[in-house]
Amino acid sequence: MKATLSLACLMLLACCAFSAAAHAGRSCDEKPPTVQAVMRGMALAERTREALDASGQDLVLLARVGQDLRKYGVHYSHLGFAYREPDGNGGHVWRVLHKLNECGSDHAAIYRQGLGQFFLSDPFRYEAAFAAPNQAWQQKLMPFMRDNQRALQMHHRPYSMVAYAWATRYQQSNQYVLETMAAAMLPASASRMKAQAWLMAQDYEPATLRLDALTRLGGRIASANIAFDDHPSEKRYADRIETVTADSVLRWLERSGLGGGAQSIALSGAGR
Amino acid sequence: MKRTLLNWFAATMLAIAAASPAHAHGEGSALSALSALPMASVIGGSAVAGSVAAIPLALSVSGAVLVVTAVEASARGTVLVLERASDGARASVEIVGRGVAGASLAVGSVIGCSVIGSGVVLSAAGQAIAFIPNAIGRALLHDEQLSY
Repeated sequence: MKATLSLACLMLLACCAFSAAAHAGRSCDEKPPTVQAVMRGMALAERTREALDASGQDLVLLARVGQDLRKYGVHYSHLGFAYREPDGNGGHVWRVLHKLNECGSDHAAIYRQGLGQFFLSDPFRYEAAFAAPNQAWQQKLMPFMRDNQRALQMHHRPYSMVAYAWATRYQQSNQYVLETMAAAMLPASASRMKAQAWLMAQDYEPATLRLDALTRLGGRIASANIAFDDHPSEKRYADRIETVTADSVLRWLERSGLGGGAQSIALSGAGR
Repeated sequence: MKRTLLNWFAATMLAIAAASPAHAHGEGSALSALSALPMASVIGGSAVAGSVAAIPLALSVSGAVLVVTAVEASARGTVLVLERASDGARASVEIVGRGVAGASLAVGSVIGCSVIGSGVVLSAAGQAIAFIPNAIGRALLHDEQLSY
């Protein structure tokens, strides 16, 4: 019995050691992409540019299906801002401002990228959607796109993929977009708390993911970029994880009348 | 007792691993494909008439088989001299950075060529080793990190 318990303790320690290593973050996979992934990623970038040009908008929310979240009832996994920028030669390009978690670590950074990079990320499906806030809101958001200091105003480095929508301990990618949208409607230098209060007043509703205790424990142990300690206990223990999803933001934009409906773009045979 | 406890432990660990949302393909890997796909540009050579950008004749047809005839280090990365197997047409491309290409390609290596609307994908054994954007491709590519 004593030996058995010792063995179990040893295995538990080994498990904890593994967990600690995972929390330190993993290195990025340097495996080169397939030719097919480059061709399809760039093709979707081109199709998206054509659709954005035809839309007549200056700034939209752009979503992609980076990962398969269907079992959580979520379609689009990641959201960024796409905005029109003069190219210096009388034309324009589209740039994407978004937040990326770095290689499964517990932190994230803000990037300004091209549409090509946005879709060269080996997405689960070669499918995108965009929706435009109203024109007045677009113009208020433009300084947040072009001025790096303002682009970082709502950014918070500690990251959890399932960050609670109404807390400020962590911030995930879609939450950064949503809170920056709110900041554009608030006095300069507003805090994340103020942004969340504004969003609540505007009747934004986060998605509720049903994650049981085992799933939560697995996520926490296996990944440095998943934490649940910012969620209120009563919701967490009722398996209700309320977080900002791209789907919930796109739905709210249309429902609130603050923007238009989402338009989707997909390549045929869109799956990975 | 011992067997029961070990079975319980193994089953629990397996269940935890299977249940983990991290098993989904993570947005965290979003940077990996990019960092592993070096950009390249053409050096000199004759362009295909009427093309959007200066893509040389040797790289103008999808499915062409190219052979590496020289590999040289440059200030920005690696210069490859490529020769089209069908007619001997040549092109020099500079791959920027410490790309996969620079590390694994040698004289005699066989390279594939795929022409798409935004540029040319060079590949080896089905893996993309470099992308040569044309004007359309250059407008779609930009990479700037604003915070650390």
